Amino acid sequence: MRHFKLAMTIMAAAVIAGCGGNDQRPGDQTPKLKYSSQVSFGDSLSDVGTYKVGTVAAIGGGTFTINGNNTASNPALTGKNWTELMAAQVGLPAPCPAMTGLDGDAAKGFSVAVQAKAGCFGYAQGGARVTNPVGPGNKLTGSPLGALTVPMVTQVKNHLAAVGGKFKGDEIVYVMGGNNDVLISLEQLSAGATAAGTAAGNTAFATSLATQLAAGATNPATAVQSISLAIATEAARPGSTSTTIVTAAVTAAVAAGNTAAASPTVYGPMVVKAQTDAAAAGAKAGADYATAQAPVLVQNIAKAGSELVALVKTQIVANGANFVVVNNMPDIANTPSGLAQSASTRALIDSMVKAFNDTLAAGLSGDAKILLVDTFSVSHDQATNPAPYGLTNVTDTACDLTPAKNPLGNSLGCNASNLKAGDVSHYSYADTVHPTPFLHLLLARYVSEKMVAKGWL
Amino acid sequence: MTQRINTAVKLLAVAAALGAASGASAQSKGEWLGKIGVNRISPDVTSGDVSAPSKPGIKAEVGSDTKPIFSVGYMITDNVSTELMLGVPYKHTLYGAGSIEGTGKLGTAEALPPTIFLQYRMFEPTATVRPYVGVGYTYAYFRKETGSAQLTAVLNTGGQPATYSLDAKHAGSLVLGATAKLGERYYADLNVVKTRLKTTAHFSTGQTLNIKLDPLAVSLSVGYRF
Repeated sequence: MRHFKLAMTIMAAAVIAGCGGNDQRPGDQTPKLKYSSQVSFGDSLSDVGTYKVGTVAAIGGGTFTINGNNTASNPALTGKNWTELMAAQVGLPAPCPAMTGLDGDAAKGFSVAVQAKAGCFGYAQGGARVTNPVGPGNKLTGSPLGALTVPMVTQVKNHLAAVGGKFKGDEIVYVMGGNNDVLISLEQLSAGATAAGTAAGNTAFATSLATQLAAGATNPATAVQSISLAIATEAARPGSTSTTIVTAAVTAAVAAGNTAAASPTVYGPMVVKAQTDAAAAGAKAGADYATAQAPVLVQNIAKAGSELVALVKTQIVANGANFVVVNNMPDIANTPSGLAQSASTRALIDSMVKAFNDTLAAGLSGDAKILLVDTFSVSHDQATNPAPYGLTNVTDTACDLTPAKNPLGNSLGCNASNLKAGDVSHYSYADTVHPTPFLHLLLARYVSEKMVAKGWL
Repeated sequence: MTQRINTAVKLLAVAAALGAASGASAQSKGEWLGKIGVNRISPDVTSGDVSAPSKPGIKAEVGSDTKPIFSVGYMITDNVSTELMLGVPYKHTLYGAGSIEGTGKLGTAEALPPTIFLQYRMFEPTATVRPYVGVGYTYAYFRKETGSAQLTAVLNTGGQPATYSLDAKHAGSLVLGATAKLGERYYADLNVVKTRLKTTAHFSTGQTLNIKLDPLAVSLSVGYRF
């Protein structure tokens, strides 16, 4: 019986030991690998404040999301982009921009001397392309902002120059770019298509109106020529308007013997028909231009992809970086900007994104020092299946981008004071292409997951 | 696992042979039984998906653990017994699965599943080997739910370290086992316990995860009757 009592005592002790209550604990928060620093190359999606100077800083902007720490009003409004979250996760100091400044319109406060910041490795800057130095917002595009848009190839060069030509090997390097190569080529495509459409429309208008007016003339064959000449002459005259062009055409028609044409009831319907003809011809010409240019744009973006592959391999990895995370291009066609485009343009965007991402996949896979993160697939899923991610709106912008509220018209000038009404904290997009802090968190989580799986975090 | 069971069966056979030689009586009405041994708990996890906000399809896998086990039993009749099984806390590892397969260990938790059984023991009290079956009631509770840098990275990158808790639950168990005499008062006991256990994990970031653990426990013990 003594044994029995002993056994009971032991068991009682075990039970008591078990009654520890519910004591959750965070556990060891040290990442698997210790990084000496974080180096980031890319564009606005990773920019940590290159343009947070002058008027941009004065209006409470500076990064391409909902600026500012507004976690007091809503925990999701951290103001942080994914690279800032990644740095915090591995216990590194908050990343700072490697360069600051603007070379835009001084009268608007967009001319601030460019400064290189020693020890700051956040090279990514808004508007940056892979190799082309002129990106969206650059003064050479006509933008008053004067974004520096130092391309990624130069960002890497600047870093190598700052650290003596070699990576130490224990940096975590983030690369995410190419988006502006898509956006600017779409702008160019749009401008080109509009120009082609306008030219074709003007021609069609003149032809249609001249032909209609000449039909009532003494000699229609010569009248077409004289009326066309009158239209062309008036159109070329500085200060001409559509009204003066019509007047010139009608005057020429009357001179050619179509006296009835002088009455608005006669020429009025002719003008309407000419406008209809012009619109049809313009639309067709614009579409034809876009169709003809599309394969060229896809080729160009694939080339930018190859250039990024070369940059990562020959300038980053070959110079000693051992931990290089490359995010591919997200689903641009499903951003508010992409959604505003025609179906054919959205298809073109998809082709461009695919061409870029396929190039990265082919060029960067199979290297143990490179982790290629398929940002596209998760961003596409977020856009088409938002609820599980906690996203409440994936099509509208969280920021009020009207000039009265936001003089910059994009998220660079967006903060808690110029958000749209209501709870926009879990919207996907701050402006037409840039994520909210919440979408940045989702991106950071996704990148983290892939890094954990690779043993890098 | 199969190998462990095989080994256990062989041990039991040896024990049975030894017991047969002694020919003493055992496990009859009114006797108390005490037992000490080792128990391996292997969850058979069916994981739900981590709730929003989360990437769809995030699941969890839970690892096995082996720990000492204690029990005390009482023979209500020559064939019907009741037994309370207790153990030291089992430390289970939580792994990322489903759409985050490959993320590996994300956390640990200690589980305590004290269980009380009502058993039917076959054959005469004097039999050398007595197979038994039974049903049990388990109160499973969890403690020391511990996160990691990896859990924080996946749930709340760069934010507050993520933690989680697991709900304590009532559960039903089935037991299948056998005892074999080792001597006048000692006996060997091998049993397999299947428990149907569902719990919910609550993460500090607001998501929940419903998870069916349905553990299978295999224990090998040495008992003593008083």
